[in-house]
Amino acid sequence: MFEQLVNWIFVAVGGYLALGLGFAVVFVLRGVRELDPTARERASVGFRLAILPASTVFWPLLLRRWLSGQHEPPEECSPHRCAACSASCEQKDVV
Amino acid sequence: MSHGYQFVGWNRQKKLYDLTLLGAVLSYLLLFIVGSIVLHPDAVIDMIILRALGTCAFVLLHVILAIGPLARLDRRWLPLLYNRRHMGVTMFTLALLHGLLSLLTYHGFGDTHPLVSLFTSNTRYDSLSQFPFQPLGFFALILLFLMAATSHDFWLATLTPPIWKTLHMGVYVAYGLLLGHVGFGFLQTETHPALFGLLAAGCLTLLALHLAAAGKETKLDTQDGFQQDGEGYLKLCEVLEIPNNRGRMFFVGGDRIAVFRYDGRVSAISNACQHQNGPLGEGRVIDGLVTCPWHGFQYDPATGASPPPFTEKVPTFNLKVLNGSVWVHPNPNPPGTYVNPGLVEEPGHA
Repeated sequence: MFEQLVNWIFVAVGGYLALGLGFAVVFVLRGVRELDPTARERASVGFRLAILPASTVFWPLLLRRWLSGQHEPPEECSPHRCAACSASCEQKDVV
Repeated sequence: MSHGYQFVGWNRQKKLYDLTLLGAVLSYLLLFIVGSIVLHPDAVIDMIILRALGTCAFVLLHVILAIGPLARLDRRWLPLLYNRRHMGVTMFTLALLHGLLSLLTYHGFGDTHPLVSLFTSNTRYDSLSQFPFQPLGFFALILLFLMAATSHDFWLATLTPPIWKTLHMGVYVAYGLLLGHVGFGFLQTETHPALFGLLAAGCLTLLALHLAAAGKETKLDTQDGFQQDGEGYLKLCEVLEIPNNRGRMFFVGGDRIAVFRYDGRVSAISNACQHQNGPLGEGRVIDGLVTCPWHGFQYDPATGASPPPFTEKVPTFNLKVLNGSVWVHPNPNPPGTYVNPGLVEEPGHA
């Protein structure tokens, strides 16, 4: 029973990673340039190979961003950045 | 400070760092293997190599975990921090080779799939002396893989520094799993007290270093009671308390700010570098630019913006110098906003 459970888990994880690898190959060849402006400037072969393994794992996140048409990485939200952003947004609203 | 992505942004310092690291790793492996053959002539070479790889990765993990607090406690350790990611990837590679060799040696020749066998060949989870330690190593290896695979700056930008750093804090979970892996492994194969002593010494040293560094950090983040004027500016310190071309950090507006004195002027910017949230306040002003002590990202102290063609920006703070004191407004300006620097009244000037 335990062996069967372990088997199922590995089959599920293997399926997820197989799908991910298929996506990752397309992503490193095409998608990465659309998602990240720095990659649009230059994306060497070594860089594309370096991001392949994690693209295989994090493919749902990358696929969602790619499909949503985002062309920039998300903005980090630290207390200072958020406070500065909300202040400038309020000013814009006032204007 | 990226301008297009490449596999590794090599420079002289990184090459020197990696060559030293490679030399140290190869020397350790050679010493371990030769020493084991001399001391235990009957030992199987596969087992010696397996242990050499595993112990090398574990020792390297201790070094990696010690670098952070050491650099917090003493700036002279900062050069080790510069290329720590390469050390992490090297450690993962050693651990992966150890894992693959173990899988092949212990689970590679049966009817069951090696990965399934890893979890099912020993299910004595109720026994301390027979506890299945190999799955602990497997899960640690998965975490180390995730960190090594996301070590490129692309992932830092894609995941954003806070999420990336949270993911990479998984190294402490991996360390805990590896303590179990090594400890239970010793119980089943080696019972020499010196090995347990070494394991405990490594763990306690890391604990002490982290507690000491956390104490220093907490002290900074609990600063309170700054004098406030009618416009909301906070009096942080005297200008001359900031060393020339250096910064001082203060906890203002829910996070740390860094106040720099340079070229007879004073400016304040948010302390977190946009690259990896490194502490800008611990950096220096080089050629008129605040330089992050971790990886050398640079910012104009008056605008908080990196020089072209780079695009990184941090929030700035309105600041004034009155009677030799530095007053900073706690509300941050949007990243990259120019703020007039305060002018330093040098001693001896009327």
